[in-house]
Amino acid sequence: MAKKLKTAKRTAKVSSRAAMSVAKNAGNTAKQRVAAIASAPLAVIENDKDLQAMLAVLVNADEPIEVRLAALQALQAASFSVVSFESARGDYVAALRKAATDPNKELRQRVLGILMRDKDGFAQKKLLDGLKDPGKALVPPEKALQLLSYDVHADAYEAAREIVKKPPNVVAKREALRLLAADTKAAPLFEKVLRDKKELRANRQIAASALHSIDPDKFQQYARKIVLDKSDFDDIRATSLVALQQFGDDEALGKDKALLKSVKGFSGGKTQAKYKQTAKQFLSRYKP
Amino acid sequence: MQHAAATHALPEPQFAALVDALAADPARRDELNGLLREDHSLYDQRGAATVVRMRGWVLLALARAGVSDAALIFVLEELESGLDPYLVAAAARALRSYPSPSETFAPFVMRALTNIRYRDEPISFESYGEYAVAATGTSPVRELLATLAWLGPHAAGVLDEVRLLRKQGSGLPAKFRVDIDRAIQAIRGPERSDPPAAPACCGAPATVVERTSSLPPNERCSCAPIASTLLQDHDGATITFKEFFTGQPTIVAFFYTRCDNPLKCSLTVTKLARVQASLQAQGLAERIHTAAITYDPGFDLPERLRIYGKDRGVRLGAHHRMLRAVEDDDALREYFKLGVNFIESLVNRHRIEVYILDTQGRVAVSFERIHWDEQEVVARAVEVLNEGVPTEQTGQMFPALSDS
Repeated sequence: MAKKLKTAKRTAKVSSRAAMSVAKNAGNTAKQRVAAIASAPLAVIENDKDLQAMLAVLVNADEPIEVRLAALQALQAASFSVVSFESARGDYVAALRKAATDPNKELRQRVLGILMRDKDGFAQKKLLDGLKDPGKALVPPEKALQLLSYDVHADAYEAAREIVKKPPNVVAKREALRLLAADTKAAPLFEKVLRDKKELRANRQIAASALHSIDPDKFQQYARKIVLDKSDFDDIRATSLVALQQFGDDEALGKDKALLKSVKGFSGGKTQAKYKQTAKQFLSRYKP
Repeated sequence: MQHAAATHALPEPQFAALVDALAADPARRDELNGLLREDHSLYDQRGAATVVRMRGWVLLALARAGVSDAALIFVLEELESGLDPYLVAAAARALRSYPSPSETFAPFVMRALTNIRYRDEPISFESYGEYAVAATGTSPVRELLATLAWLGPHAAGVLDEVRLLRKQGSGLPAKFRVDIDRAIQAIRGPERSDPPAAPACCGAPATVVERTSSLPPNERCSCAPIASTLLQDHDGATITFKEFFTGQPTIVAFFYTRCDNPLKCSLTVTKLARVQASLQAQGLAERIHTAAITYDPGFDLPERLRIYGKDRGVRLGAHHRMLRAVEDDDALREYFKLGVNFIESLVNRHRIEVYILDTQGRVAVSFERIHWDEQEVVARAVEVLNEGVPTEQTGQMFPALSDS
């Protein structure tokens, strides 16, 4: 048994080495190299030479982009083995920062994502600079906001508020609202978005959950109003209903005849099946 | 020249120039220490990453100008509980500019190595705000190993730990082998085969050993300015500062639930739970209250406070509460002179701080920056409890603390 295991390990090592050999060889086709990297993603941490070779591929703009992306993926997978990756971390971070300004948009975006998940100051500064000055932007504003939201301590609220005021596109506004959901001073903004029936439903959903997080009492007031409002969207009413059920005052809800009547109406008619179910659950809990 | 105190909203390049000017002027170097206080107006409304760049630059200026006794606590604080590679590297470099090495520094350096080794990354100290894009320069681990070498025989107490860093598998990566060997060589000394005994002559300065400050009763500030400040607890109940904090001593810790440094708020609240257990074991849980007050009252609503405390074993009840200021948060900050600053509604940097309030809600003892010892906090709280009580009576009322 032990012998078999030893043989299997040796075979795996040989195949990893072979895979790395194919991956590093620029004479092979991009497809072959990508397949080789994918076949042994953790091979990059088996020896320093392979690791350095993959880092070199990652930052080399002359290499085919698909090979560079495959190298990035392998390096990222290897970085999860924190202890084994310790010796490579410095080189990896340096390579990522270099690749963050690469001409290829997809690579930039992925690299900035990896860096921001580690709350990297370099990446944060680049993203903020890009939001303030679109000429310097490495990624579209909606992506920058999404990446900045990984770090609640990033200095991004002001930029996000500007985008809510003057959104370059609907996705950017949505991401700005998502980011501001951590800002306790943004409650009035979310009240406004939640009240505005002309606002996109996705944005109102974000506003509902943000308000629930930063000012639950205020949201409870709105939730009741929304549930009572037959003209509002089903998904918004259902979200509000769930919030009332989970965080509301049980005694008061049980006595709220107008609310129960409205929920009863919501549980039938043209309401979508999944929302009818939400309403029925509510009624089974509070119906006298 | 612009005075360091009037630097609110100073653009970063000008801030860097100011720091450089202060470091270059022997008559003004002490002003650098003030720039390391978290509550300095300069850090108001800056993002956390900006604060890192700014504080790092001040630490590097200290590394050039020389770390004084007054600045030493900031350097050791960063080594002990810092997790940002740039700041830890800058602190390690700054420590080497202290006039003389001391054995008390060695545990701080080792702790920093343990905290930062899996976060090691290339660092550039070349110019303000620069981030390394090549791994050829320095790094926090490299700076810390250089600091161990600087400590030389004064690090004899941690020599075995340094040797373990050389061990294959669990030690530091091979690329640091030369730095580790240099540190070991310096600690052992050039001609010795055995580690020398730790030098007994070079005690650390008072600022290192003295992690607390106490005020005698006649020098304490009245809590009148915040007596009516309204607080809300983990259950949503409201109470004024005077109602909760007078009539008995209270151990107060500050924290916030969104703190992303596990060596700060999470650890502080966990240790507060151990303080409570100690009070309970000694029959003092009713006589000495505890409180954890959030820096972030807008976000830390009662439910978050309760869950955060429970998750860390905090005993919650009428005498032991997790609190948020419902109003007048600024007055609370001013009363305790809290080491904290904000970007919009969010904390951008804070220190570790625990206080013991006397029976009138006045600050009697402060534990700031360096990690506090739970038993010491309890012992000091008992001293505050016993203030004014005759010794014989004290012995009867509060039996001596056990070692356990």
